[in-house]
Amino acid sequence: MARDKIYLEEEFPSPLLQLWHNFKETPVVMLGFSCFVFLTILALFSPLITPYTSVENHLDFLLLPPAWHNDGNVSFLLGTDNLGRDMLSRLMHGTSLTFGLSFVVVLISLVIGVIIGSFSALTSGIKSSFLNHFLDVILSIPSLLLAIVIVAILGTGLSNTLWAIIMVLIPQFVHITRNAVTEEFRKDYVLASRLDGASSLRILYHSVFPNILEKLISQATLAQSSAILDIAALGFLGLGAQIPMAEWGAMLKNGIDLFYIAPWTVYLPGLAILFAVVATNLVGEGMRHALKVSKEA
Amino acid sequence: MPTLLQVSNLSKSFKLGRNWFNRKIFTALDPISFDVKAHQTLAIVGETGSGKSTLAKLLVGAELPTTGNIKLNGQTLQPGNFKQRCQHVRMIFQDSGTTLNPSLTIGQLLNEPLLLNTDLTEDARHLLIRETLQKVGLLADHMNFYPHMFSGGQKQRISLARAIILQPQVIILDEALASLDPSLRSQMINLLLDLQQQMGLAYILISHNLGIVRHFSDKIMVLSQGQVMEMGETSDILSAPKHQYTKKLIMNQRFQLLHR
Amino acid sequence: MNLLDIRNLSIELKSATNPILAVDRVSLTMKEGEVRGLVGESGSGKSLLAQAIVGVLDDKWQVDADRFHWRGNDLMRLSLDERKAIISKDVAMIFQEPMACLDPTMTIGEQLTEAVDCDQLSGFFWQKNQQRKENAISLLHKVGIKQHKVCLKKYPHQLNEALCQRIMIAMALAKRPILLIADEPTAAMESTNQGQIFRLLASLNQLKNMSILLISHDLENVTHWTNTITVMYSGQFVEAGTTKQIFEQPFHPYTRALIDSSPKANMGLPAKSRLMALPGSIPILQHLPIGCRLGPRCPRAQQECVIAPKVQNYHGHQFSCHFSLKGSY
Repeated sequence: MARDKIYLEEEFPSPLLQLWHNFKETPVVMLGFSCFVFLTILALFSPLITPYTSVENHLDFLLLPPAWHNDGNVSFLLGTDNLGRDMLSRLMHGTSLTFGLSFVVVLISLVIGVIIGSFSALTSGIKSSFLNHFLDVILSIPSLLLAIVIVAILGTGLSNTLWAIIMVLIPQFVHITRNAVTEEFRKDYVLASRLDGASSLRILYHSVFPNILEKLISQATLAQSSAILDIAALGFLGLGAQIPMAEWGAMLKNGIDLFYIAPWTVYLPGLAILFAVVATNLVGEGMRHALKVSKEA
Repeated sequence: MPTLLQVSNLSKSFKLGRNWFNRKIFTALDPISFDVKAHQTLAIVGETGSGKSTLAKLLVGAELPTTGNIKLNGQTLQPGNFKQRCQHVRMIFQDSGTTLNPSLTIGQLLNEPLLLNTDLTEDARHLLIRETLQKVGLLADHMNFYPHMFSGGQKQRISLARAIILQPQVIILDEALASLDPSLRSQMINLLLDLQQQMGLAYILISHNLGIVRHFSDKIMVLSQGQVMEMGETSDILSAPKHQYTKKLIMNQRFQLLHR
Repeated sequence: MNLLDIRNLSIELKSATNPILAVDRVSLTMKEGEVRGLVGESGSGKSLLAQAIVGVLDDKWQVDADRFHWRGNDLMRLSLDERKAIISKDVAMIFQEPMACLDPTMTIGEQLTEAVDCDQLSGFFWQKNQQRKENAISLLHKVGIKQHKVCLKKYPHQLNEALCQRIMIAMALAKRPILLIADEPTAAMESTNQGQIFRLLASLNQLKNMSILLISHDLENVTHWTNTITVMYSGQFVEAGTTKQIFEQPFHPYTRALIDSSPKANMGLPAKSRLMALPGSIPILQHLPIGCRLGPRCPRAQQECVIAPKVQNYHGHQFSCHFSLKGSY
């Protein structure tokens, strides 16, 4: 028999759980979060749930409009492109490419950026100054331009694009980590930890990181929406994912020539990109709002 | 009573100036010597910029002294060796809001110095944390709470618990009582007095509130701009100050105390 | 006629679960030219009360009162805008950390000229500019800053706290207020600077007959500079009366405890002995006791203390306690 809560128990959540409670309050943000989760599930499981594979050609059904048109066919729900490939399957595969890879890119650059940033914050003097200013120079160049330059050096292809975008996103995280860690080091509890005999590494891990996690997460969501746009833009320019891959930007590039005869080949990938970016931005906004509210309370 | 802490010729100066040629030297603290016995409280009084926080940081080991040394029970404390020092000299900070890590529970907070400095098993540590919390007047259940749930007075008590958990011999109170409300201040002073009796601690109290200093301390040292103006027994100095600066300090506070 | 007459003001925190009375039926009266001290520890609601008078509380607080008169006008009947217009003309407020209250990106001169009252200027706009500058200089002189040229060009972070507080007072004086509310003006300062600010406030009170409501958590500090004192605890009214009455014959156990914890009372005690202190700590907003909120800590508490005591008046000395110390004097 379950024990009912007779007495009004007060719950005292940890600061991270408190953040999650604040996050849950805004309905719009929860909508964005559920879209985000939906996209993540699609990205992970798309090979299993797509009706057709992304490269299967159906030569009898070239340029079929979406199912709600008069000429459409319900077995190709969102129509086909000029090579007879099903748009729905391609879009779903594209989720794992554009959205999923952006997630991976942000994760890798977060880890590298945090390591460099903490190292820079721990040292002082010429070494840290050099690191910081060098990376600030990289920050001043627009991310897309820098990615194009790096791809031009390394060559085209999806993996090179990913490396380019990782390199472009690292300076942001270094900057944020360095500022946050320097600020935390000024606080008294870090001094108290040091006086207890903790090494710098232990202080970083136990005392500082839990407190800067929130800033890192909000910066990561900002970086992710920028990464989605960069991957799509590079695909559109032909520098990223190559032709048979179902990346959304490459699909856009394909469809641009056929815009007047088959507009769905353009607006469907475009809408997908919009959807992903809006969901990521909503989650990021919600996180920042929750941070602000929890600081005020 | 044997001398617990012996400070000789301790001083701290900073090098200012950006260019390599013209380095000005700023003396935060001139060479100073004093000693403190067990069960005794030394009060350090002075306005901001007088060097009292520098002295506190030197004693606890947060900064390296330019000259001089500190001896505890006859053993010299090596600067930079925190593990040796933290078992004997602990500090309570002023601003209780930032002295406690907001994402750790109190239990984890108190566990950390034990993990780093003792070899106790987990159960033994748990027991010691419970006892320490009870000594400072908090409940053992408070171990699972986060710092933001406590009031200012309780946070200072947690800082005190963190200071006494390693059973030190000297505790430095860096303006620890200044931010408390008057009724909580009296409670905290009673608690500190009890602990001094029980554990034989020596306190070094840094404050600018002469009322507390008069009640709580045995000896007093008046600092101004890094130099010692006067040093001696509290009752002697506060009733018959010799130096101009001390007289001015007392005038400013007594003026509000006696004028009715 | 009373300048400010507030009866049974309550401030409630509107929340989904159950509303919390942060300030519970507090009454306050002020006469012209009076310096009243409002004493209470943290959590007593004194800052909330001051902000409710001036009208700057958030929407999450709801303010109710039986009577809220300003110079005879009943402010409860007016709309919010009219009330704000009347109050902002005659009441000014200064806050706790003056350096944080000044805009760090503007010089003092710019901020002062911004604060000058436009209604007192006349003429064309170029004349107004000159008049504004002269007004700013005269305000600085009023608070005792003689070297105005040096001061006007500096930024707030280049000055010390006491000077910044004086500038805040100068800005508060720009509209020639009748009442100045000082919310813990010297909390962050040392004793020499505290004395300066209090002396300035006292001179303003004597020369301009300006009433001052001095909010502080330190009873001892305030008794030298005030005529009357009101004491609050945890949002409830505790005691009010002239400074002499409160200090020499406190009727409420809480006031007694506050006075006992002050340095003057402890002069008689031998060094390093235990101080008189109330056990327990100040209740937090979520766990307020019913009835008299001092109940759990009060040494004289009994069964009746679960009902909030009514305010009793004895020769102008008001207190709210069932078991007051009146009989022992």
